[in-house]
Amino acid sequence: MSALMRGMEVGMVRNGIDTLTGNIQIHHPLYRQDPVLEYDIADMEKVREALLQVLPPRAAWSERLRVSTVVSNARHSGGVILVAVEPEAEKIVSFIGRAVKEGRYLAPADKGILVGEALLKKFETSLGKRLILTASRADGEIVSRSFPIIGVYDAEMESVEKQFAFVSLSAGQKFLGESISEVAVSLPGRDISGLQEKEIATRLRQELPDVEVATWPELLPMLAGYLEISDGFLYVYFLVVFVAMGFGIVNTTLMAVYERIREFGLLAALGMKPWQIIVSVLTESALVLLIGIGIGSLIGVASVLPLANGGINLTELAAGTEMASMPRIIYPMLVYKDVVIANLLIIVLGLLVSFYPAWKAARFRPVEALAHV
Amino acid sequence: MRNGNILFVVIVAGILFSSVDTHALDGYDIVQRTFHQLRGKASVSSLDMTIHRPAWQRTVSMKAWTRGEKESLIRITAPARDEGNATLKRGREMWIYNPKVNRIIKLPPSMMSQAWMGSDFSNNDLAKTDSVLHDYEHTLEEVTEQDGHKVFTVASVPKPEAPVVWGMIKLRIRDDDVLLAEEFYDEDMELVKAMTCSDIGQVDGQLFPFSWKMAKAGAVDEYTLIEYQEISFKETLPSSIFSKALLRK
Amino acid sequence: MRSEIIMAWRNMWRNPRRSGLTMAAIAFACLLLVFMLSFQFGGYETMINASVKVNSGHLQVQAKGYQDNHEMRLVVDDPRQVAGLLSQINGINSFSFRAESFSLASSGRRTYGVAVIGIEPEKEKAMSTISDVVRQGVYLAGKDRGFALIGSLLAKNLKIGVGDEVTLLGQGRDGSVAATVSVVKGIFRTGIDELDRNTVQIPLADFQEVYAMDQAVHQVICLADRLSEVKDIAGTLRQSMAESGEEGLVVLDWTQLLPGLVQSIQMDLVSGLIMYLVLVLVVAFSILNTFLMAVFERTREFGLLMALGSTPGRLVRLLLLESMGLTVLGTVFGTLLGVLITLYFQSHGIEFPGAEEMLNQYGLSGRLYPSLSLLSCFAGPLLVLLVTFVSALYPALKVRKLKPVEAMG
Repeated sequence: MSALMRGMEVGMVRNGIDTLTGNIQIHHPLYRQDPVLEYDIADMEKVREALLQVLPPRAAWSERLRVSTVVSNARHSGGVILVAVEPEAEKIVSFIGRAVKEGRYLAPADKGILVGEALLKKFETSLGKRLILTASRADGEIVSRSFPIIGVYDAEMESVEKQFAFVSLSAGQKFLGESISEVAVSLPGRDISGLQEKEIATRLRQELPDVEVATWPELLPMLAGYLEISDGFLYVYFLVVFVAMGFGIVNTTLMAVYERIREFGLLAALGMKPWQIIVSVLTESALVLLIGIGIGSLIGVASVLPLANGGINLTELAAGTEMASMPRIIYPMLVYKDVVIANLLIIVLGLLVSFYPAWKAARFRPVEALAHV
Repeated sequence: MRNGNILFVVIVAGILFSSVDTHALDGYDIVQRTFHQLRGKASVSSLDMTIHRPAWQRTVSMKAWTRGEKESLIRITAPARDEGNATLKRGREMWIYNPKVNRIIKLPPSMMSQAWMGSDFSNNDLAKTDSVLHDYEHTLEEVTEQDGHKVFTVASVPKPEAPVVWGMIKLRIRDDDVLLAEEFYDEDMELVKAMTCSDIGQVDGQLFPFSWKMAKAGAVDEYTLIEYQEISFKETLPSSIFSKALLRK
Repeated sequence: MRSEIIMAWRNMWRNPRRSGLTMAAIAFACLLLVFMLSFQFGGYETMINASVKVNSGHLQVQAKGYQDNHEMRLVVDDPRQVAGLLSQINGINSFSFRAESFSLASSGRRTYGVAVIGIEPEKEKAMSTISDVVRQGVYLAGKDRGFALIGSLLAKNLKIGVGDEVTLLGQGRDGSVAATVSVVKGIFRTGIDELDRNTVQIPLADFQEVYAMDQAVHQVICLADRLSEVKDIAGTLRQSMAESGEEGLVVLDWTQLLPGLVQSIQMDLVSGLIMYLVLVLVVAFSILNTFLMAVFERTREFGLLMALGSTPGRLVRLLLLESMGLTVLGTVFGTLLGVLITLYFQSHGIEFPGAEEMLNQYGLSGRLYPSLSLLSCFAGPLLVLLVTFVSALYPALKVRKLKPVEAMG
């Protein structure tokens, strides 16, 4: 269960990061407020140098030209954000390299356009046909360019499919001018704590005072906020289930103790101290707990693993997931911390509630206990 | 075999050329001549535009100035409520002036494909009139007879990489360079909308259709009709007419 | 049968500690289920109410076909007649008129396509969250003319602030050119980018004049007192509209206005149900265990009873009665407690320290209120009852296999 929730969380974050956010982004200081072509990154060489210097191995970055354009064909017209990317670098940084469903991915210097499936449907068009993109250049001149549709991608969220269209950086720059508006950095690992990002961002900021460096929690504050709440909720839920379980454990142990009244009476009569009895009962329930936890965790892990690969498909509720900006397919995810916390909680709680029967057992008077039928 | 083929082509070409005499039958030439005659070097006109819908109709009168392919100014003269509203087009850019708020607004790219003043003409239809000429390859498809005139059907297909939305435009042009119809097809070659011209008359020594009707394919009883009241062709017009300063006038 | 009941009752209290704990476990589960379900439903209600308050309202009266393409000419011609009908229906909290048009908004330097909405400020204040999320400047006042509220992203894009002018240019209902210049009075941020990016609100009177609407509007939006009454109100309204000959108008409720919201609730409900199922299973396990041990403990007793001539069937009945007694008592107790707690929080609300900031962004208070309903009150306990009964069957049936001699040995 916690794996499911975690999966959802990580899914949402990865989804957020993957959907072009990246772990860290670099922009002109004003670009995020006002994403127009004028606000491009002035000194790309410097940025590249700093990235080479600061980024850990296996990290990657992608340079993009990103601007809102109007896309139209014979029957439809609408706004779309054009993202011109270096096809090879982008593959590593965002989902788009993996998302092509029909047709092909962009080649370097490709003249075609990659659009989302939802956009394709909305525009009643198909692979091989053209889309006309219109935008203002940095100097205000309105330009149009025709792009053949070479590929169709499938995103987790329909809104993404409708919102973004991809072309090669070379085609984008021919269309709109030689500039880079955004650098997205992808860091290795699936950690969602945001600590790694913070550290690297700090170092990048020192190197690059003229640009804005932002980490994903800064870029997606809503998501970060949601995670906090969701974390809290998860722990409350754990607690509730454990309390319910606690009742069961008390009851069982208590009965186990009563069943063995004679035995405890005998032990007491033989001179065993009450605390020794308590310890022995507690040890017993600790053992039972450990075995239970072992089996339970195994089953839990075993049940999560196949799902983690296949994912839980919520496609039917796509419109709903969309509103919550959740991925359509949830991959349950085991977080080491969760398993440990859950198990520790069970042991502590189990022992705590076993204390009551143990204490009872210790208080049996030998004579009465032995007389008990 | 190879020689035979070439021979065949030559024969067919010969038949075609001999059957139609007057002008050289190059699609581009026909279209170019037609659009030149339609627009002239410069023109001043007054016209009524009627937007017709099943339960509703509205007519606006305006005055228009054009110069070459790229510049035009249209000013509304009636009804009184809209008088003074003006649209200036220079190249790919369009500005709108409204006298009530006394402001000039430049149309953002996102609005270019929207309907112009609620009609069946889009802003692009106005702003990209020269596009037919330059962005397409023209092929003469068919020659028919109508009312003693030959009528050419020219299929215009966009040049590769030309930034145009249509899959094809079909033009029907009379042998005296009068445009009779312009049909817009999507990339599946399905008709999207069609314009027909009629009321052909003589102005300043050339022919001109005084009535233009644009209708979306499949829409019943919905069209936009432009009727020219008068038009006169000039050699040129002063540049100052097509300036933002005069937009306010 | 009577004797069995008496016996079961006595057996139950022979080991009060065990029975007590079992009942407590059951009661705890019921309590939680009642509370959590109520809380969840309350959460949905908050969510729905919040969403409808941002823009749609619980109900809308529109011209037929308007919802699909928001065409300017599809109007509610005489909104006052609709208002007359609305005021005769009980359960309607408030209603208000709106008109909407797609237009250009220009600041001189920049121009964007936006939705211009004409509103009645005084009435909207009570109905729409926009008034709570004005971040700069102030909300429109009742008699305001020539002022506008704009979304924060739009303000950014147009590069204008409070006190600046925004030019609106569109098309009137009659096809005429509609243009006006409004002074920005307030800038709102709902947190929903789409609204913040492309909404301009102006007084309805301005809208009607500029867009040649006369007295017509596009939407009559209503808020109901209670979400649960929306369907009934919609039905009543449809009927009274049909009776008064209002043709060409339709009544849409929030499920039609916001289909995405319905789906997201369904999805949350599914994940919620999984959690409750787990909870019930945990409880069932502990009950199963208790019952099972109780049977083993009393093996001798059952052996004796059988030796004395009790049929296994009778023993099964006895045991089931015992467990049912426990369960029913636990359920009743738990449900009662759950209802009491829920009722308490229903009137006082629950504060979410972490969520406050996020909720505030949407113009919600940091408090959430559970909402007790028949469903939330009985669904959980009934499930517990069912599951525990099933889990009690197993030990009870096990008794039948007992052989008297061995059992007593």
